[in-house]
This record gives sequence, C-alpha cells and structure tokens, in this order.
Amino acid sequence: MNDLNNPVEVLGIDAGGTMTDTFFVRADGSFVVGKAQSDADEAKAVLTSSVDALAHWGRTIEDTYPEMVTCVFSGTAMLNRVVGRKGLRTGLITSKGFEDFHRMGRAIQCYLGYAFEDRLHLNSHKYDESLVHIHDTRGVTERIDCKGAVVIPVRVEEATQAAKELVDQGVKAIAISLLSSYLNPAHEHAVRDAVEKVIKDSGSDIPVFASVDYYPARKESHRTNTTILEAYAAEPSRKILGKLSDTMRAKGGKFDVRVMATHGGTISWKAKELARSLVSGPIGGVIGAKYLGEQLGYENIACSDIGGTSFDMALITGGNYSIHKDSEMARLVLSLPMVAMDSIGAGAGSFVRIDPYSNSLKLGPDSAGYRVGTCWPEGGLDTVSVTDCHIILGYLNPDNFLGGILKLDVERGKKCVQDQIATPMGLSLEDAAAGVIELLDLSLRQHLRAMISGKGYSPRDFVCFSYGGGGPVHAYGYTKGLGFKETIVPAWAAGFSAFGCASADFEYRYDMSVNVGITEESTDQDLEDSVDQLQSAWDTLKVKVLEEFEINGFSEKDITFTPGYSMQYLGQLNDLEIDSPLPKVKGKKDWPALVAAFDAEYARVYADAARSPELGFGITGAILRGSVETSKPAVPDEKEQGETPAAGSKTGTRKFYDRRKWVEADLYHMESLMPGNRVEGPAVIESDATTFVVPTGFATFLDKHRLFHLIETEDLTVAFNYVDA
Amino acid sequence: MSTYTKQEVKQLVDGTLAWDTVHQMISMPKDADRYKLYMEVIQEKLSYKHKVIMALGPHLNLAIRDGDEEIHAFCDCGKDFGHYKGNWKLNANIYVRDTAEKMDQVYPRLMAPDTTWQVYREYSCPDCGTMLDIEAPTPWYMCMHDVQPDLKTFFEWVGIPAPKKI
Repeated sequence: MNDLNNPVEVLGIDAGGTMTDTFFVRADGSFVVGKAQSDADEAKAVLTSSVDALAHWGRTIEDTYPEMVTCVFSGTAMLNRVVGRKGLRTGLITSKGFEDFHRMGRAIQCYLGYAFEDRLHLNSHKYDESLVHIHDTRGVTERIDCKGAVVIPVRVEEATQAAKELVDQGVKAIAISLLSSYLNPAHEHAVRDAVEKVIKDSGSDIPVFASVDYYPARKESHRTNTTILEAYAAEPSRKILGKLSDTMRAKGGKFDVRVMATHGGTISWKAKELARSLVSGPIGGVIGAKYLGEQLGYENIACSDIGGTSFDMALITGGNYSIHKDSEMARLVLSLPMVAMDSIGAGAGSFVRIDPYSNSLKLGPDSAGYRVGTCWPEGGLDTVSVTDCHIILGYLNPDNFLGGILKLDVERGKKCVQDQIATPMGLSLEDAAAGVIELLDLSLRQHLRAMISGKGYSPRDFVCFSYGGGGPVHAYGYTKGLGFKETIVPAWAAGFSAFGCASADFEYRYDMSVNVGITEESTDQDLEDSVDQLQSAWDTLKVKVLEEFEINGFSEKDITFTPGYSMQYLGQLNDLEIDSPLPKVKGKKDWPALVAAFDAEYARVYADAARSPELGFGITGAILRGSVETSKPAVPDEKEQGETPAAGSKTGTRKFYDRRKWVEADLYHMESLMPGNRVEGPAVIESDATTFVVPTGFATFLDKHRLFHLIETEDLTVAFNYVDA
Repeated sequence: MSTYTKQEVKQLVDGTLAWDTVHQMISMPKDADRYKLYMEVIQEKLSYKHKVIMALGPHLNLAIRDGDEEIHAFCDCGKDFGHYKGNWKLNANIYVRDTAEKMDQVYPRLMAPDTTWQVYREYSCPDCGTMLDIEAPTPWYMCMHDVQPDLKTFFEWVGIPAPKKI
C-alpha cells in the first residue's frame, strides 16, 4: 500500500552465501524482510529478495525505489573470492630479497582461523595458496631503514623491467609494497610512477596499487596483504556493485549504494579502499545494537549473535565498541581496523559427535551449514547436528522450517540421534538431545562470561542483546544465571544485521602509523616535533577522506572530522585508541592534553593503579574519521496494548521437552504479538526466519519498540539444581 | 565418529584427497575401519602375496611373509629386507653424500650442510633402485634404526587379532 506520509526510506541488504536478505524500513520504523536464494548475479538476487519483501506491503520495486533515500549493502562475495582464491591475477613488486615474505604469511597464516585443537597440532597446519604467485612477484633493489632514512637508493630501472615482465606475463593488476614505505613513501612512489608509465606505454589500463597510497601502516605482511586484496578481491566487487547500482537506478532509485566496512561505518561502493568491506556481516549486528542503545539509553551492551556455524560476541561499553587493528580475516593478516569481536565455532548447526576416547559429547568444530542436519534427507548428511535436537525436542517447527521452504523428515533425525548419541551413551532419545542443547548453552554461556569478566566487567552492568537466526532459540540458555541487567530479543532478530548496516554512519576511517616516543629526557624540540608529526599525519589522512567523499559529491563543509590517535606507555605492548581532545594540535603546548586524555581512557579501560607514565609515552598511529549525515531507520514506537495477547496471535500448542519432561508449550506468531503483551513459559514464539524459545521459569513481554524482554521468573539457582540432582 | 569410503582412503594414500577432507581426517578421531581400508588400499597396489600390516614408508611395508608367516619388511618390488625386529637399512644399498661436490647436486653451494658436520645417507632397493629413505646424521654416527613398532600393543589398539608371529 502506498503511503505518502510514511515513505519507505531505508534498504539494508545482507547478501550471504545461501540467502540474500533485504530489509526495508519505513519512516515510522515499520519494516519488512525479504528472502531470496543468492545468485552469482547479486543484482538479480537483490531484486528477487526486494520483490519478496515488498509483497508484504503490496508494493513493487518500481514504485518503492524512487522514494528511498539510503541503501546499504553487505555481502560475502568478496570474502568468498578470497577464500576460494578466485580473484584478479595480481603482480607484486617488493623490496629485492623479500620476494618470499608474502607467501610465508608471517609464519602464522598456516593456522589462522583454526579451532584451538588444530592450532596445537603441527600436522594440521597448512599454508593456503598465496594470493600472488611467486612467479608474479619481482624484487626491486632499494632500502629504507626503520627510521625512514634511505639506505640504498631505489633502482627505478629495475621497477620498469619488473613491470614489463609482469605485464607480459598477463597480470591484471599490480600491487607495490616496499619495506618501511609507511615512514618514507619516496621509493614506493618512484616505483609506482615507473610502473604506471610502462602500463601507459603498453596501451593497457591495468590498475596499480602502492601500499603507501592505501594502507600506510607498519608490519609489511599486513600492509602487503591488504594492498593486494585491493587489487585481487575488491576490483571485481567494484564492477558487481556498479552493476547493482545501475540496476537500481534503472528501477528509479536515486540513492547511492553504500557498503558496510570493517571499521563499523559504511563507505561508498566507489571508495578507493573497498577492501575495507571484506567482512561485514557480523559487524552489522554490533552497529545495530549500538544504534538501538543510543536511541533507547543503553550504554553497556553485550551483543550475541548465533548463526548456523558460529557464535559472535562483542561488547559495547560507554556507548562505544572497540576497534581491533591488524585484524585477521580469511586466514590472512591484514591492516584493516575492525570492530573487535570474539567468535567461537559453535552454532545452531554444529555437528554433534561422541568422542570415542572419552565417550563424551563433542560439538563442532564443523557444522552442517545449509545442509541443516540429518532431518533433511536432501541435504545428504549422516552426522547429527544441533538442529536435529531442536526439532526432536519441539524447539523448532519441522513443518515451518525457514518458513516452510524445506520439508524435514523428523523420524530420520530421531533415528540418527538415537543411533549416534542416545544408544552409545545409554540415554533416552529426549535426554540425549536435551544434553546436546545444554552442552551448547553451557559452552556459549562460559564464553560470554569469560569475554565480559576477562575485560574486567561484570554482566550486571550489561544489557544482553540476542539476535541472528539462532540467538532467540538459545537466549534463555546462554544468559540464565549470568545476571545480566536485561536480556533483549528484537522482534526482527533474523534481519538484525541488515538493520545494523542500514543504521551505520556514512563514514570513512583512515589510519597511518607514526613513531613518537617521549620520555623525561626528551627536549622541548622533541615535543614540538612529535605534536607536529601527529598533525601532519592527520593532514595527510584528511586529504584522503576528502577525496573519498568528493567521489560522492560531498565537500569539506558537509563532513564532520574526528581525529584520533593510538597511544601507549613506552615499554608496554598494547596501545589504546582514543578520540583526540583537540581538533587540531600545534607545538608542545598541546602535548599535555593528548597525554591526559590517554591517561583517563587507560584508567577507564583498565584501572587507575595500572597506569605507568614513568617510562614515557608513545604515539603509534594517527586516525582520522570523517562522516556525513545520512538517513537511518527509525526504531519502532508503538502503542502498548495490555498484557494479554490477542486471540489470533496464539497459533496452538506443541509438545516441548522442558526440564526432562514433555510439556505443552503455547505457540505464538511473533508478528501478531502487540507491544505490552506478556507471554509466560513454556512458550515458543515463531516467525518465518527465527524462533524465540521461552521455557518454564521464564516469561517475556514485548515493549513499544518491538523488543522482547526475557525475564527469569523464579530463582534459577534453585530451579536448575534439578540438572545436577 | 566419521566414516570414509575406501575411495577416499585410496586418495589419501595417493595424496590426491582434497585438503579440507584431509584436514578433517587429521582433526577428528579415527574411524573404526580406517586401518582395514588403509591396508586394503596398499595391498591392492602390490603384486606380492605377503599380507601387509603396516606402512614404513611410501614404498616400504611390513608384511606377513607368505609361507612361514614371519613379519618382514618388503620393498614394493617384493625385495625382502629382513625381519621387522632388525634394521632393514642394513640390507639396502647406501649412497653417502659426504663431499661438497656431492652436496652441489642437491642444494646450491652454501645452502647445504658442511659435510664435516653432516652427511646424507640415501638408502635404496638393490633390486629395483627405488629410494626408500634418507637420513642426515653426523658423519661418524651409526646407521639409524628409525622405528621398532610395538605390534602387540598396536593390534590391541586397533582392536583386531594380532598376527601369530609378532
């Protein structure tokens, strides 16, 4: 239905490996979610998914796209291109003698991303094929030392020769990364210019990427990998996103497609540094939680997202998430700043096996993925997954799995659990399945607790947000007894990542390494130079941020700049990233303010007594973020309707295995529940894409923002003693 | 527990199995019939009649000798290297790389060991010439006895009856 007073404003797209979700939001915050099978042609999948979503409102793409103002895309195509090594053939020019370091992967890429057990065992370590083949790598004689001084002048003629050879060999892009170039870009620029000249003379249009123009950061493996990704993986994405953008324009869209980036902001698909969008899915949820927290006044949030394969956790403290530099993604060390998250490889689709040596249950580390479990014969699996146990115990509805797309064979699932788990352990079918669920809950709960207490906090100070397809199924299990202030399940839990993407700022963030160390012995001149070095780095970064925004037609006056820096006590290993207390710095008079801001942040994150200023202070990096205003989804704000759910919202009952016995659980249709409604456990609240389980001893009410609050209604230290008894 | 087909085990032996599957095989507890399949795959590649019970190397296996049922080491060509409690290397041809010139054939100059400190001993089959092992000891060190399998315990672990003459 068309409603001019309430236009559809925001579209969030989550293009995953199997499903492409679209999330349309109206000005008043009401939303619809659409699903379509992913396609190699992403534009096509997005259109199909959009049609599916808009059908809920009786609308079409053609009349909706023109009224929209924002579209944010997040997808896995770039990541898959890297993991599957299907990127653009790229040549690499590096310092002579260092041709091999790229494939040596800092001696850690052989086990990155592995489960803990596999990290320990050398014979499971393996280096993936390197992004750039050694035959497509050339060295150029040159050397810049760790202070940025030229030790061996660059031999440009070697670069010319290297470029000719690489072009003749048929590379489609060339990346340049020389040692210590982040301290002195002269050599890299000389090589870049020589390479560009060769390419121009040869009449081709191969793109050239010099690391210092993109990611001027210390650690050459990280910097080189990231620069290569810009060529190898991001170039093809630019073309795909360009096509998506064209397709949407052809349907009347007047908005610019933006992409979720690892640092938590969104960037234009035309951005020079598109490799920043390599991983975006799980980040979306954190951004969404932060945004929701800002709107509703939650400052400390524990974010938890259970998908089929993993459990992702992140903490928002004082309204901010932290950023992890030098992140690891796709088994590569990278210099991309990334929203700090902890992940474990246990999810709603993890495989369940019995360890023959200890005769105990073991979850994962692998999972059924799109093949669900043994209860879906077409999936071709013989190994039991957690989903099988959900089905057996009545947590999930076998007749409406993924909205009824898949037809499940419950009897087959039962037989497999009986044969593989129950009989070997001497348990009844139900108790075996319940044991699996308890084990998963326990493992998630321990990790969640460890993440919070490991950072020196207590769950009492946090609200826990639970989302993702599997989050609401397990929310009661992994939060019970931890003592969170509240546990909240958004009614749009399954589309929460897409919602998060849509609520992210249009923001570029650029980083640059700087080397500053100030001790008691430093002179006034040292202080002058250090402060000026920081400002000079910000000036350099500002040019880059401006360049990026200019592509989308923004000028300096539209942009809010937030300068920041990473500082550490000299002698300590880790730095802290903080926003600068001053918008500009000049000379030694500004040094005390920089130090004071760091001292205060350090005391907040760790403890006052842990500060150690006696050894001096170092600045390791300059950061500049620039953002412009965008339209964001409004949080729903509906009228409360009283505690009793309307008659139509209750869809029946189902047998549900709860506390070692079968009970009748009330079933509700999630979308039909109204703000103010309260549901007592045992109950299961269902929607097409997610299921919210409320067992005995719990209740939930839906607030006016369409957030479910999960409440423990009895003293669980007593209630759960039965488990041990 | 995982199960793998004979085809997969054959690919594992041949080195053609996809790494993802190999990785999973390494990480997970062994499937119950792996030993049986593994031995079948090796046996099918061989022309001799002795029954293979353990692999010592890519072309060297312990097998129950046809006839007297003693356990001996055999090259793929059928050459008998003696009882498994002895050192099979004593029945092999030995080539010792103990000069810089000989090392030049395998590594660039200065990237090979100094032969006054370390030599390479290459053991090959006197009948078919297949290289069966290389060891890299100091020049004065004795011929190494690499492994002495405890077959009694091994068959207890695998859970099948041990050969008679272990």
